[in-house]
Amino acid sequence: MTELRIAAVGDVHLGEDVRGHYRQRLEGIGERADVLLLAGDLTRHGTAEEGRLVAQEFRDLPVPVVAVLGNHDYHSDAQDEIAAELRDHGITVLDDDGTVLEINGRTLGIVGGKGFGGGFAGKCASEFGEREIKSFVRHTRTIAESWQLALKEIEADRKVVLSHYSPIKETLEGEPLEIYPFLGSYLLAEAVDSVGADLILHGHAHKGSEKGMTPGGIRVRNVALPVLGRAYGVYCLNGG
Amino acid sequence: MMEAPQYVAARVQRALAEDSRTHELGIRVDVRGDQMFLRGQVSGEEHRQRLAAVAQEVAPNLKVHNEIKVVEVTRPGEDEHLD
Repeated sequence: MTELRIAAVGDVHLGEDVRGHYRQRLEGIGERADVLLLAGDLTRHGTAEEGRLVAQEFRDLPVPVVAVLGNHDYHSDAQDEIAAELRDHGITVLDDDGTVLEINGRTLGIVGGKGFGGGFAGKCASEFGEREIKSFVRHTRTIAESWQLALKEIEADRKVVLSHYSPIKETLEGEPLEIYPFLGSYLLAEAVDSVGADLILHGHAHKGSEKGMTPGGIRVRNVALPVLGRAYGVYCLNGG
Repeated sequence: MMEAPQYVAARVQRALAEDSRTHELGIRVDVRGDQMFLRGQVSGEEHRQRLAAVAQEVAPNLKVHNEIKVVEVTRPGEDEHLD
């Protein structure tokens, strides 16, 4: 039996004052994990300069690195430059699409992107009323549809979904209830449940909880750095 | 008339999120009398201090208690095996 060892962290929010600090904690990652997934909010202000700093922090590791961006990384409208900077340094950046890695003779499919909000079943916004509300919810729906399609198309022994926003409420426990609609959307979970996956990783909710599951029984882990309280989590899947 | 403390706290929280020096969304701000308390976790000491400075600018008459913690990046812990 081959295990796929997935290291993951989100919300590292790197800035000039902490340059090099995180990198130190990545020492030895090659012995602990087969891949490192970054669940968005890699920067604080979303500038291209910060993107370069993030790329330098995560470049040339002994394991492949796959990332999605978060809302902070979009703040300065430099998300494309940040993604390009990461890609130039060998980091795969998912933007509502997928990639397949070969690990010890097994394949790991990773699908995802930033995700978005809207709330959770029964207590959520819908595509009704003002244009602004409709476009807010439509953005999430479009993302969920892209993930569903990518999951269907990808062929791999195991599949992981990587998001910034949360697909479920359970991993938000600890956050104020009033802001749940800004922290995630059930549409993301529904899309993944409809096709199936082995694990969903997300960040964004700094005061949330690490563990939860979708209504369909897929394990969800909130890997935001303040939630983990350690450099990264390592989740092992049976490679089949 | 004295401004209600809830509005002062909301204004500070909004400034911490929107000010280009901070852009920090997860800080809890509580105002009690002439004291302001900041709580949350951030990634670096300079950032922590900038948050208190911006909060002080928005509410110059309050005494700021900076209870924000810097997230300590500790060594990775045990693996979790998802069977």
